[in-house]
This record gives sequence, C-alpha cells and structure tokens, in this order.
Amino acid sequence: MKRLLRMAHPIHLVVGPTIWGLWFVAIYAGLSVACSVAPPTPEQGMLTGINIAVGLATLATTVLLLGLSWAGVTAARRAGLHRECYFAFTSAGVYLFSAGATLFIGYPVVFLPPCI
Amino acid sequence: MSDTKDATLTPGIRRLHEGMARVWANPAGLGALTVVNHTSVGLRFMVTGAVFFLIGGLLAMLIRTQLAFPDNDFMSHETYNQVFSMHGTVMMFLFAIPILEGVAIYMIPKMIGARDLVCPRLSAFGYFCYLFGGIILTSSLVLEMAPSSGWFMYTPLSSGDYSPGRGSDFWLLGITFVEISALSAGVELVVSILRTRTEGMALHKMPLFAWYILAMALMIVVGFPPLILGSILLELERAAGMPFFDVAGGGDPVLWAHLFWLFGHPEVYIIFLPGAGIVSTLLPVFARRPIVGYGWVVAAIVIMGFISFGLWVHHMFTLGIPQLALAFFSAASMLVAIPTGIQIFVWLSTLWLGRPVMSLPMLWIVGFLVIFVLGGLTGVMLALVPFNWQVHDTHFVVAHMHYVLVGGMLFPLMAGLYYWLPLVSGRMPSERLGKWSFWLIFLGFNVTFLIMHWTGLLGMRRRVFTYDSAMGWDIYNLISSVGGFMMSAGVALLILDIALHFRFGRKAPQNPWNADTLEWAMPKPPTPYNFVSLPRLETRHPLWDDPELPRTITEGQHGLNTIDHGRRETWGSDALTGKLREVVHLPTNSWWPFFAALSLAVVCICLLVRLYPLAGVATLVAAVFLLRWSWENGAHPKAAPDATVAPGQPPLHSRTMNGPGVWTMSVAHLANGSFYLSLLFGWFYLWTVAPEWQMPETSPLSLPLLAGAGLALTLGSAWLAKMVRRLRRHNDSGLGGGMYLAAGLGALQSALLGLAIWQAGLAPSETAHDATLLVALAYVLIHALLGALLCLLQGLRVGYGFVGAEAPLEPVVVLRLWYYNLVVYWSLFVAVWVMPTLLGGAS
Repeated sequence: MKRLLRMAHPIHLVVGPTIWGLWFVAIYAGLSVACSVAPPTPEQGMLTGINIAVGLATLATTVLLLGLSWAGVTAARRAGLHRECYFAFTSAGVYLFSAGATLFIGYPVVFLPPCI
Repeated sequence: MSDTKDATLTPGIRRLHEGMARVWANPAGLGALTVVNHTSVGLRFMVTGAVFFLIGGLLAMLIRTQLAFPDNDFMSHETYNQVFSMHGTVMMFLFAIPILEGVAIYMIPKMIGARDLVCPRLSAFGYFCYLFGGIILTSSLVLEMAPSSGWFMYTPLSSGDYSPGRGSDFWLLGITFVEISALSAGVELVVSILRTRTEGMALHKMPLFAWYILAMALMIVVGFPPLILGSILLELERAAGMPFFDVAGGGDPVLWAHLFWLFGHPEVYIIFLPGAGIVSTLLPVFARRPIVGYGWVVAAIVIMGFISFGLWVHHMFTLGIPQLALAFFSAASMLVAIPTGIQIFVWLSTLWLGRPVMSLPMLWIVGFLVIFVLGGLTGVMLALVPFNWQVHDTHFVVAHMHYVLVGGMLFPLMAGLYYWLPLVSGRMPSERLGKWSFWLIFLGFNVTFLIMHWTGLLGMRRRVFTYDSAMGWDIYNLISSVGGFMMSAGVALLILDIALHFRFGRKAPQNPWNADTLEWAMPKPPTPYNFVSLPRLETRHPLWDDPELPRTITEGQHGLNTIDHGRRETWGSDALTGKLREVVHLPTNSWWPFFAALSLAVVCICLLVRLYPLAGVATLVAAVFLLRWSWENGAHPKAAPDATVAPGQPPLHSRTMNGPGVWTMSVAHLANGSFYLSLLFGWFYLWTVAPEWQMPETSPLSLPLLAGAGLALTLGSAWLAKMVRRLRRHNDSGLGGGMYLAAGLGALQSALLGLAIWQAGLAPSETAHDATLLVALAYVLIHALLGALLCLLQGLRVGYGFVGAEAPLEPVVVLRLWYYNLVVYWSLFVAVWVMPTLLGGAS
C-alpha cells in the first residue's frame, strides 16, 4: 500500500484523471439535484449558493491537482531509476492536465446562472 | 515457413518444435469448434467482423440508393427505418468493436512475447457469443422485423407503445449477447497485457500498441455495462411492463439517453484508440526512427480514456438541460482535442525527424491523418452548444460521425491489414491493386461525406426516408450517392486483392518492413504457440536492437523452452517491472465455451419469442456448462496435476496466491461495479428527476430480514478471509469444512434476501420505484447465490485434492467475489432502505 503512495508508481497515471472524474460527477450531480430540489430564482443570476459551492469545489480540486503535479516533478528529479523518473514525470503531466481541465470546465460558474 | 521444416535446426530443437506443435495443436473438422488459441480466435473475430462489414456496407448502399433522388420510392419508409437502424447497429456493434478486438486478440500476445492470452477459453466463449448474437440480430432483417428506432434506440420510440413488434427486442437481446463477447475480450486483454509480458518487458518498455489496447480494454470494461443495464431495463419494460422509462409509471425516458451515451461516447474512443495504436506502431517503422515522445503518447492515451467518459451529455444538448451543465460538457468536449492533438503532433514530428518511405500501409496512414483531422475539427464545432443546437440531428452530424469513425478506425485498420498481412499469410501485398483500392475508397469517402456537411447545413434531417425536390438537396444527395458507390467499388477491389494475395502474393522475407516489434520474430504464418522460446527483453525496439532474435528464438535459446510436461505455458510477470513471477499454465481446447455460448443463444431466442419457462431451463443449462468448465482448473487432471517446473523457473500460477486469476476476477469486478453504479445512478436519477416517481412513506422491505442477510454475508466474508490467511501460512486443515460453512452462510443470506423480496409485495409493473427496487434486489440475490455456489464447489474441490495448501489460488479468487458482494450489499442497503427511511416519501 505504501508503494502506491510513491509518486513514481504508475498508479499515479490514473489518479489525476480519477480525481478530475470524481469532481466532475460531483458538480454535475450536485447541480442537477440542487436545481431539482431547491432552484434559486433566476433574478439571483450567478450569485447563488450553487455557483459558489461549485466554484469552491473547482478551486480546491485545481489546487490539489497542481500540488500533486508539483510532487510528481519533485519525485522525478529525485528518482534513482529511469522507470521511476519516467512514471513520475508522465504522471506530473497528467496531473497538470487534470488541473487545467478542472479549472476550464468549472470556470463557467463565473458567468452562468445555475438552473436556467 | 514453419519452424519444424527449418533444415538448420538440430534434432533436439526439432523435437522441441514437434512437441510444441503437438501440445498446441488445433483440431480440424468438427473439433475446430473446440479451438481456443488466440491466433485462431483472433482471425475468426476478424473474418466474422469483415462479413458484418459487408452486410453493413450493403445496407449503406441501400440508403444511398433511396436518397439519391427526391421523392424516391425505392424503399418504403418502414423498410428504410429498419435499414438505417441496422446499418448503424451492424457497423458499430458487429463490425467496429469486434474486428478491433480480433486484431488485439491476434496481435497482443505476439507483441508482448506471450504464447496465448491468459484466458483462452474465455476468448473462444466470447467469439461464439459474438457469432450467435450477430446471427440472431441480422436474422431480423431476413425476417423483416428488424429494429427501426435508430442505432441508439431512444425511448419512448423504442418502447412497446411505439415499437410493438419484435424489432426492439432483437436489438436489446442481440446486442446484450454480443456485449458479453466484448466484456470477455476486455477483461482478458487487460490481464494479459499487465501480467503475461515476457521477462524484462517493464510497463514503460512495452509497445505503444499494448498501451492503446490496455486503455481500450479498460474502457470496454467500464463503458459497456451501462448499456447492458439499459438494455435489460428496456427489455423488462417491453416484456414485463416494468415502467423504467415511462413517465406515467414514475420512470423517465431521459434515463435511457443517459445510460446509452454513458456507453456511447466512450465507444467512439474505444474504436479510435486501437486505430491510433496501429498508427503509432506503423508510422515509426515507415519513418525509420523511434516514435517521438513515447511518454507524451502514454499520457495522451490515459487522458483520452478518462475525458471521454465526461462527454456523454454532449449528445443530449437539446434535451432541456440547464445552461451551466451544458457548459461543463461543452468545455469537456473541447478538452478532448488536446490529447488527440498531442498524438497528431507526435506522429507529424516522427515523420518530420525520420526518413519516411511511402508504401501501401503508409498511404492508408496518410489518408487517416487527413480524414481524422477534418472529423476532429467538426467535432470541436459540435462541442459548441449554439452550433450543436443548429445542426442537431442533421446530415452534418452524420458526416462528422463518419469522418471520425471511418477516418479514425477504418483507415488505420486497412493500414494494419496490409502491414500485418505478410505475418498472417507469409506473402507480400500487391502495391498496385492496393493503391487503386485506397484511392477509390479515399475519394469515394470524401465525395460522399464532405458533401454531406453541406446537405446538413442546408437543413436535411438525418433519418428522413425521402425529400421534396423544392428543398434544394437533390444535387448534394446525388453526389453523395455516387461517392458511396465509388467507395463500394474500392471495397470490392480490396476484397479481390486480399483473395488474390493468398494465391499469388510473393513470399515475404522474415521482417519485410524492417519493423522493431516482436511479432516479426515469429515464423510466418504463425505457429499456434507463437514462440518456441520466450526471450528476455529490456528494449522498446527488440528487432532493431537485436536482429538475430528470430533465429535465437527458433533455436530455443531463450526461456520456457521445455515441453515434456505436456502443458501449454507462458510467463506470468510482474505488472510493473516485467520480472518473472509464475509459469502460467493455460487451458487447452474444449467444448465447454461452445456449449455455454450455444445455450445462452437458446436463452436469447427463448426470450425473443417469449418462451420464458424454456428460457429458464436454458439458463440453468448454461450455468451448468459454465460451472463444469470452471471445474477443469488448478490441480485438476486436465489442468496441471503435476506442479513440477524446470530448475530455476518460478512456480506454476495455480500454486501461488496472486496468479492472473485474481487479477481477472478484480478486472471483471470493475465491469460488475460499473453495472452496479449505473443501477444506483438509475435509482437516484429517477428518485430526483422523474416527475411521477412515487417513494412510499415507509420502506416495503423488512429491516430484520435485510440486516440478517447482511450479517450472514459479513460473517461469511470474514470466515473466508480467515481461511485464506491460513492458506498463506500453508495451513489447509479444515479448509473443506470451512468452505461448506461459507457456502451455508451464503445460502442463508440468499434465503433471507429472497424472503425479504417476497414479503415486500412489490408491484414492479405498476411503479418504477418497485421495478427498480426489484432489479436491484435481484442483482444482490444472484450474487449471493453465486457466492454460495462457488464456496460449495470449492469445498468439493478441496475433497478431490484440486485445492489446498499446495494449490491455494482459487479461494483467493472466490474471496474477491465475497468482498465485492459485501460492498455492494451494504451500499445498496443504504441507498434503498436507510436513505428513503431517513428522507421519507420526499417525492
């Protein structure tokens, strides 16, 4: 189990997109349920609890993924084996993409109301 | 060239080859139905897929004939509906996926230095499911009762009210049957790639094609179950009146759209990834240099595999979803262009930095690049919501889809066909006929579908069976039809070329394209055992780094080069490092896969004609065949009764506790888990969204019975885990009795659960709530029965001496199932009892 936590393990190739996937499902499901159960009035525009919650979740996930990306780069620099360096760097790239994807997809909360 | 005919071999090596040939022999005549070898099964998949391609192509020509002129009465609208529905269905489900699986099944062991896939009987079973399912589905055309609701079968059009005939049933049952095949291939490809690579082939050294197929197989494993669930629910609605998609009964037709596209969008990438894998394999060979950015490609594959699951709603932009949610999916749809772009730039860079030679396979690759990039660009256009709304359900979308799928799959497939043809036949392809065929298909395709973008932009809806001349679409449709027939001429020429090839093609040299991958170290045509000895490899380019490999392999200079034991063997290696861990002994030819698939075909037909008692009997027969098949395992006399291995070799996998079987069970549970999560999604979706959903004030399920069943399952799992821990210490005393006790606890769980279902008095044909609840409870009940049954069989096997301290693998595999049941049971308990009880009849 401890082995899996090391950034040079290939499991990290899929951890970033998995975190992205969980965030994506959470915001879509959360938005759908919130709009079904307690939709805010259209007059409120973007300043709704839903937008704020989605925005905060987006920022938190982005920061987490960026941190993991940086951890991957650090691990790659310290790696003793070529294999470890390879997986750490590739995982860092995938984490970075996942962070960018999170921010890009979550960004519309700034200018779109949630339930219209 | 056959290994045994090589005059340079010493008598000892020749005996080794002859021994291998005897142990790995494929019977002829009726016995051919028992063949399980991946080379034969892969070829069968490909040939059958090609036949279905011709059927799908014929249907396409009927469509183009009908649309060639305005007010055409070549076909009635009823026939046209059947023809376009079956064209899409055949091409997507019976051609694209199976033929690519066939390529993967055929190529993967050869490229990773294995002798076969890890579950050869599963390959054979998958093939027969595909064949029988395909025959059942296409027979509906002959019977003039084919599905007519389009290839994605939207409800309520496909439901009983609007499609009262048998067409939808053919689709739902036939496709589900075919998907068993896809899942079988998906599971075993994942495990084979991860656990049976040759010695030293670390994960980051394996061929890129294996990465692509690994991603494809995992996507099949996760992506297909939502559609299987949807098909089961829709068939239950049609056959038993359970209103999952009927608003009046508390269902919602949009649930079908979600379940379909949860499968349907990843499906596009499932089709594209093997195509891209072929390109990434061939292009460096013809550029005569290693691919630029291996790591970039791996990252792009991983990203694409995940992102493609986040796009499904972009097929549903017009369904009335809030704008913010549309924006999420629009952004995700644009993002997928990034990993695609990475691969395209990697390919261009490789060409730029290499010394490319233009030969026939390369011509198809260039065609792929042109067409796929155009399809990708219109894909980004369709990701934009306002544009998507404008062209939704028009011929623009049809044109885009064909650019992506034909460009992304058919052209690379043809490149791969010509590239690997010398491996299959031992002969070189004809450049002249091949080029004629390419140009006819390439030009015909663009004439057909480039024009179709305009037709769509002018407003022509897809699926209209004719049109008025005043619409101004005449000339575009006529041009598209001419292009379609030009493409057909190209396909006809291609068939002629392949047919002549096997008779007149000139003999191929050992490595005709100067390729780097291991399959070219094999004899041509390949022997059933692939390699007489398995080399240690620590390079991505084995044949470029060691051109002598074909000779040294044939001379038996590498590993696993004994056959006196009479077993079919390949290496079992560490998933990450490629270090040797086990000798995997593989099952031999068998009738069980054929009979199991045949009895499932009988189940399918009985359900189709609504002979339910007979379907029940056939299901029991299929279960008996499957369990009998599982009996020949481990230390069974027909598997590996003698555990002796050559000095220095690792143990047989059945004598370890982490053999590929454990991995196979885990990957199968990924598919199972995807099915279960889709079911949970359906439950919560209908609860929160369906306008007429009726949640009772109190749960109809008895808490004591549910808790008792859960307790029995928990105790059984803990007991089984304890026995496995003892096995790890080589202690098997009381193992048989322990297995019977676990079986008893499983039986108790089943009985209590069955009683809870019976006591609940559900009315599944009246409300979607009761129908969904019943399906969910039936799901856990089936798993409980399976857990009990497998423990019972384990108890018997301990008695026979097939399982014990010396052969401890199987209890570990069974424990995985129990753990899965445990998680599923208690999470379902929370979803269907705790949450409704806490939240009450909220909607």
